[in-house]
Amino acid sequence: MFGYVRPSEPRLSGEDKRRFSAAYCGLCRTLGERHGLPARFILNYDFAFLAILLWPSETGPVLRRSCPVHPVHGRDVFLKNPALELAADCSVILTWWQMQDALNDPGKGKGKYRLLSKGTRGAYRRARQYRPGFDRTTQEHLQRLHRLEQSGCATMDEPADAFAQLLAGVSNEVAEPAKRRILEQFLYHLGRWIYLVDAADDLQEDFASGSYNPLIRRFSLENGTLPEDAKETLALSLDHSIRLMSAAFELWDFGVWTPVIQSVVYEGLFLVGRSVLDGTFHTAVRSRPGNGRKEKL
Amino acid sequence: MTDPYEVLNIPNTATDDEVKKAYRALARKYHPDNYHDNPLADLAQEKMKEINAAYDAIQRERSGHGRAAPDYGGGQQAAYQYYGQQRQNTSAEAQILYQVRWAVMMGGSLEQAERLLAQIPESGRGGEWSFLMGQVYYRRGWVDEARRHYQTACAKDPGNAEYRNALDNLNQTRAAYRPDGYGMSSTCSGGDLCGRLACTYLMCNLGGCFWCC
Repeated sequence: MFGYVRPSEPRLSGEDKRRFSAAYCGLCRTLGERHGLPARFILNYDFAFLAILLWPSETGPVLRRSCPVHPVHGRDVFLKNPALELAADCSVILTWWQMQDALNDPGKGKGKYRLLSKGTRGAYRRARQYRPGFDRTTQEHLQRLHRLEQSGCATMDEPADAFAQLLAGVSNEVAEPAKRRILEQFLYHLGRWIYLVDAADDLQEDFASGSYNPLIRRFSLENGTLPEDAKETLALSLDHSIRLMSAAFELWDFGVWTPVIQSVVYEGLFLVGRSVLDGTFHTAVRSRPGNGRKEKL
Repeated sequence: MTDPYEVLNIPNTATDDEVKKAYRALARKYHPDNYHDNPLADLAQEKMKEINAAYDAIQRERSGHGRAAPDYGGGQQAAYQYYGQQRQNTSAEAQILYQVRWAVMMGGSLEQAERLLAQIPESGRGGEWSFLMGQVYYRRGWVDEARRHYQTACAKDPGNAEYRNALDNLNQTRAAYRPDGYGMSSTCSGGDLCGRLACTYLMCNLGGCFWCC
C-alpha cells in the first residue's frame, strides 16, 4: 500500500508514540520471522495501522530486540501475535499483487518492482498458504480494478470501490462478528480514501506518462493539476469516508490503541488529504527528522 | 448486568454533574444523526440503549425512585418517513420507481434497487430515477456519484424540494461528532498543518532505507 495513514503527532502522548512505534517494529519483525528478510522491505505505516485495528484485547508484552537497522541498541517491539501475523500476511499478499499490477503497467518504471518482486516471491507463496481466501478476493478485486482502468472508467467511485472492497476483505479474517462488521465498514472507507488520495497524489505523474488515473476522466482534466472546484469535490468524498470511518471506530473498544486511531480519523487523515491536494505531502513528510522517503508500492 | 458507571466510563464517586456530563458526551457520540444512512446504525442504537439504561440506573439509585433519562434519541427508530407522494400514474416505470423508493427508504437491498432501476430505459429516466439512483450510491458511500445524480435530479425537476434537500445536505460539511479538542472536520479548511504530519519519531524503515539507496 502507500503510507498515507499517519497519526497526528501532537495528539499522542509519549507512551502512545512508543507503543505505536513498538507495533511498527513488531510488524517488521513478524514479517521477517514469518516471511523472510525481503518481506521486511514492504513495511509501511498503513500496514502498522492495519495491525493495530486488528489487535486483540490483550496488549501483550513489549521487549527490547535488535534488528538489522538497529543492531546495537535495538528497539522496543511487540512480539508476534495473531493481529501482527494477519497484518503481515495481508501486507505481503496486497503488496505482491500490486507489484504484479505495476509490472504489467506499460507507463511505469519497473526496476525496483522487479527486484522486490523476485525477493518476495517466497514470502507471497507462504502468505497465500496462510490466507487463501484473502489471496483469492484480492486477485478478484484487482482484476476488476484492472478492467475498469482498461475501459477508462470515468467515475472515481467505481474503481475506488474495487480497492475499498479489497481492503475490506481483511475483515473476513476476523472471528468476532460485531468487530468484523465494524472493521468491514472501517476498512472499506479507509480503502476508498487511500485510493482517492493516491489518485490525487499521482495525478501529475500519471498525466505525464499517459497512465490511467480516475481523476483525469472524472474532471475532464487538460493538464496534471486539479482546479479548485475539483479539489473541493474530491474533498467532499474524502471527508465523507473519513466521517464514516470515525463513526465505525466509535462502535468498538480499541483499548490502548484508541488515542492513536482517534488521532488518525479525527485529524491525521484530514491533514494528509489536504497536504496531498496542496502538493505539499512529500515535503511535509520528508522534512521530518529521521524519516526516509515515502516508499511507494 | 454491566456496571452502569463502567458504561458511562466514570467512577462511582462521580458527582451528579459529572454523571450528566459523561452521559451527554456519549449520547452526542452515538446520536442517530451521526449514524444516519449508516450500515452500522443498529450497533449505534444498541450503544445508545446501553447508555440510556446506565444513566437511568444511576439516576434511580441516587434518587431512590424511578426517573427516566432525557431522550437523546436512543429509543427512537432512525426510521424513514415515507414522504413520497402516492403515484397517480401507474405505468410500469412508475411502479418500478415506487418499489425502488420503498426499498431504498426502508433500508432494503441496494443491489435489487439498482437492478430495478436498470430496467428503466434511458428515455424514461426522469428526476425521480436520478434521485433514487443517487440514494443507492449514497447508501454505498459513493458520494461523488450520489452528488452527480442529485444534481441531475434537481436539473430535471428544479421545483422538487426533496431532491434539493438531498443535494444541499450532501454539499454541506455536516457538523459530525468530534471528541473534545479536535477542531478539524474537513480536508479543505480549518486547523493548522504545520508540524502535525506525523509519526516519524525515530522509526526506522527498512523499506525507506531500501528506496533511498
